[in-house]
Amino acid sequence: MNLSYRIYYIFLRNLYSYKRFVVPTFLVSLVEPLFYLVTFGIGMGAYIGYFGGKPYLYFLVPGVLVSSVMMTSSFECLYGTFVKMIHEKLYDSLIATPVSAEDAVAGDIAWGAFRGLISGTLMMTVAMVMGVLPASVLSAALLLALMVLVGVMFASLAMIVTSFSPSFDFFNYYTELIITPMLFFSGVFFPLDKFPPWMKTLSEFMPLTHAVKISRAVYSGTLSSGLIWSLLVIVVLEAIAFTIGLKSMKRRLIK
Amino acid sequence: MTKTLVSAKDLRKNYGSLIAVDGISFEIQEGECFGFLGPNGAGKTTTVKMIHCVSPVTSGTLIVNGLPAHINNRALKKMTGIIPQEITLDVDLTVYENLIIFAKFFDIPKREAKKRIAELLHFVELEAKRNSKISELSTGMKRRLLVARALLNHPKLIVADEPTTGLDPQARHLIWQRLRQLKSEGVTLILTTQYMEEAQQLCDRIVVMHQGKILKEGVPSKLVAEQIGREVVEVRVPKEEDERIVGQLTEFSCGHERVGDTLYFYCRDGQGLMKKLVELDLHNYLTRPATLEDVFLKLTGRSLIE
Repeated sequence: MNLSYRIYYIFLRNLYSYKRFVVPTFLVSLVEPLFYLVTFGIGMGAYIGYFGGKPYLYFLVPGVLVSSVMMTSSFECLYGTFVKMIHEKLYDSLIATPVSAEDAVAGDIAWGAFRGLISGTLMMTVAMVMGVLPASVLSAALLLALMVLVGVMFASLAMIVTSFSPSFDFFNYYTELIITPMLFFSGVFFPLDKFPPWMKTLSEFMPLTHAVKISRAVYSGTLSSGLIWSLLVIVVLEAIAFTIGLKSMKRRLIK
Repeated sequence: MTKTLVSAKDLRKNYGSLIAVDGISFEIQEGECFGFLGPNGAGKTTTVKMIHCVSPVTSGTLIVNGLPAHINNRALKKMTGIIPQEITLDVDLTVYENLIIFAKFFDIPKREAKKRIAELLHFVELEAKRNSKISELSTGMKRRLLVARALLNHPKLIVADEPTTGLDPQARHLIWQRLRQLKSEGVTLILTTQYMEEAQQLCDRIVVMHQGKILKEGVPSKLVAEQIGREVVEVRVPKEEDERIVGQLTEFSCGHERVGDTLYFYCRDGQGLMKKLVELDLHNYLTRPATLEDVFLKLTGRSLIE
């Protein structure tokens, strides 16, 4: 792999272009969490009442936080990268400069993760305004680090899909068959303990499940040694997805 | 004493089972303008892509500025400027932002980049469009911006892949002037084109490519003289008349060729031939100087290439 500090230049290029979209994307990133938190948190929370001694919102927020990172990072490296690669032919001019194909792809993954971080941070801010606070300042800092980790993972996974996608429509398979089911099988909205064993096993294979576990524990400040396994799953999957994503995109970009 | 900047030996490129470049050899000297001519799919673009290190070589050797061309060769990419065939400007950014970001890719410090951008916008006459969006530019302006972008890093070698496709005559002449100016400053220029006039205007030497192979190499004017002669006489007569007419014109020792509704004569004494045609009562003819286009068509065939 031919990576260099030039990853930053691609990130910078995306930041330049983002200036023009910053208001609409901030609005979307704010409105989306409000929908979740208001409808599920307040509407459904009223029926559910207390959940492990705390209002339902305390259960919901950490889950919705990482799923919003997942959504934003994934979409950026699916649609965003595809447009830059196929429609705008941006990668063609990038790889003719000292920026390598790997630099360019890694720069886009970093950008996808950054967009995820913005979404997650906005979501956390809304939650905090609603009175749902992380256990400590350290918890909040750890949550930010978790968002970056989760963002890079889902950006890299999306990059693999983009690398062999023939058209926009193909992304529907990934978003509808993989991303959306994860929202419901990963314990974002309700605990998984009432699932039959096979569904529990299935959910263990979903990276979001592990992200939600860690997020929830960090948010409430109740860390346990069992989380090391979840962290390991995320880190290993992330490393694999990043490597495959770079290699398969390079194969598509360099002919 | 001229120095060789690019040297290719038995260069090949396959895309799967398709042979795009089929064992070609050539040398490009420092400071010259070298043209690759050929119809669509001849392998011109593939060849220059290998030279500027964005496409891997299948086999053979390709040395640029003393280094093997390779997709990971950042040193070569740093000294090369590319004017691409397709308009690959960053549509999310303004004219100025396009250039400042591209300067970053080459590690050009910001102050130097700003100065260079001002010079280049002047050079391609786009100062007034500094803060415009790309979508607000005409095709000619976009192509000029591509020229400016290719020059940010003070390239030693410029690769221009069909740089004037789709331009009106004014815009085309402006680009030609700029390319000639760069050449006079000592930059080496590699050009691919389908426009014979462009090759004649700019190139010191050309190769004619067809189906991945080099058919002929040489100085444009000499190639015309060798391959065609001085003049071309076109006679529009039915095919059945060919034998009779050619029989009457043996004294002129012309080459001749029948394509569609036209009989072509390639000769040195066009005037004499014309007089004879009038004597033969053939008035539907046209005489003109031989051009590179005749060489091109003779070598690659006059029928359509898909």
